[in-house]
Amino acid sequence: MTSPAPMKVCFVTVGATASFEPLVSAVLDGRFLASLGELGYTNLLVQYGKDGRPIFDRFLQDRDSEEAATSHSIQVDGFDFNQAGLGREMRLAQENAAEGRRSGAIISHAGSGSILEALRLGIPLVVVPNSSLKDNHQEELARELQKQGYVVASHYEQLPSAIRQAEDLRARMMAWPPVDSVQTKRKQPLAGVMSDELGFLD
Amino acid sequence: MDSWESLVAAFFIWVIIPVAVAGLSLAVALFYALSISQNTTVPRHRPKHAAAHLLIVLGSGGHTAEMFSMLRRMELDPTIYTYRTYIVSSGDKFSAAKAVEFENNHLYKRCQGHNGEGQPTENHKLAGSYGIVTVPRARRVHQSFLTAPASTLQCFWQCLLVLRGIHRDQTPLPPQTRSPYPDLILTNGPATAVCVILAAKLLRLWVYCFGSKQQHKDLAGAYPLRTIFVESWARVTTLSLSGKLLLPFVDRFLVQWPALEGKQAWKGMRKTEYVGTIVD
Repeated sequence: MTSPAPMKVCFVTVGATASFEPLVSAVLDGRFLASLGELGYTNLLVQYGKDGRPIFDRFLQDRDSEEAATSHSIQVDGFDFNQAGLGREMRLAQENAAEGRRSGAIISHAGSGSILEALRLGIPLVVVPNSSLKDNHQEELARELQKQGYVVASHYEQLPSAIRQAEDLRARMMAWPPVDSVQTKRKQPLAGVMSDELGFLD
Repeated sequence: MDSWESLVAAFFIWVIIPVAVAGLSLAVALFYALSISQNTTVPRHRPKHAAAHLLIVLGSGGHTAEMFSMLRRMELDPTIYTYRTYIVSSGDKFSAAKAVEFENNHLYKRCQGHNGEGQPTENHKLAGSYGIVTVPRARRVHQSFLTAPASTLQCFWQCLLVLRGIHRDQTPLPPQTRSPYPDLILTNGPATAVCVILAAKLLRLWVYCFGSKQQHKDLAGAYPLRTIFVESWARVTTLSLSGKLLLPFVDRFLVQWPALEGKQAWKGMRKTEYVGTIVD
């Protein structure tokens, strides 16, 4: 995978449980790929989920038939999902000089597992809530994290501008996990509560 | 005709009213008991370095991931929580694998950190001092609401067995553990957590009301089966369904976003506590 010019990877994940076809279509759209090209991305890796394969295959076919028309030269790969977790794939978007990679970005559905993993790895993250899900508390999480400056909260129709905002995010990445004001008073709140309930003598 | 009317009147006086009164007093007594129970705090009674048994409920995918994220961040100390029981739902291989990984990699390494390199120490034995118990699912995804109560009851029953330490997956507890019951129960949802916490509450009430002399003697001065529920980090402005159900039953209810602070089941009950982001 190593090449002389450093890679810049955009990794897209729609999650394992629910399908999110609009997001798969949106990241394979010409306008979005053009934006990636302008921002110096070299690779797009898409975890398209259980129902995303037809969309991805159609994209590959169409692209082969009109090869001359594509101005961008982004390598596009895809897979359905990975039972062992997505840590390895996410790390492809992390800066690693030894393996010839620049810092990229992750575009993720709003599942808390994926969000936490990206924040832990310190990779710029665009969160796209799946508006078709019934109990949509995920939208609130995405908006709140954007307000605090941890992620870009977006919609699948606005990805070209969101991926530009991810560049600003890269410039001012904040450390994770955050230390809240309550935690400056009490270092380990959970350990404290557990110890209280056990009734340990001080 | 007359006798028919008097029969109805007698039925009303001798059956309906007493049943209604009994039901109402039972409800009031229950509310009162819940309120007393929730407002009781544990006095400082446990000597340092005493053995403690922690029971951790692993919900499923996202819940399990968040649970281990919290345990990592708080640096769970195996010298304090000397024995851990993990409850997983049947068929949830992910959670069971995560528990083994946490014990064998994370906790074992932390023990090494205490003592440097070299021979396994007493602490290393503590790192392997755990058990994993499988209970049936309370409600499968897409399961009909007609058959769900039966599987929920089955789950509830198995949870009671686990809490009493007599479930078939359980091995005898280490000898220094004082009571057959876990000292502390840590949960973050969903359905299995509701079963475990309700079972713990029922068991506490049962022992209090009908416990044998021996049981009361064994438990004198101990406060087992304390319960903590941590609302998911993904919940910013509304409580989850399991959170809402458990609000009047858990001893401590922790939330990770300020908008959820101070919620309570009804007036006089314990409020939720905001602890900031405790996942890593």
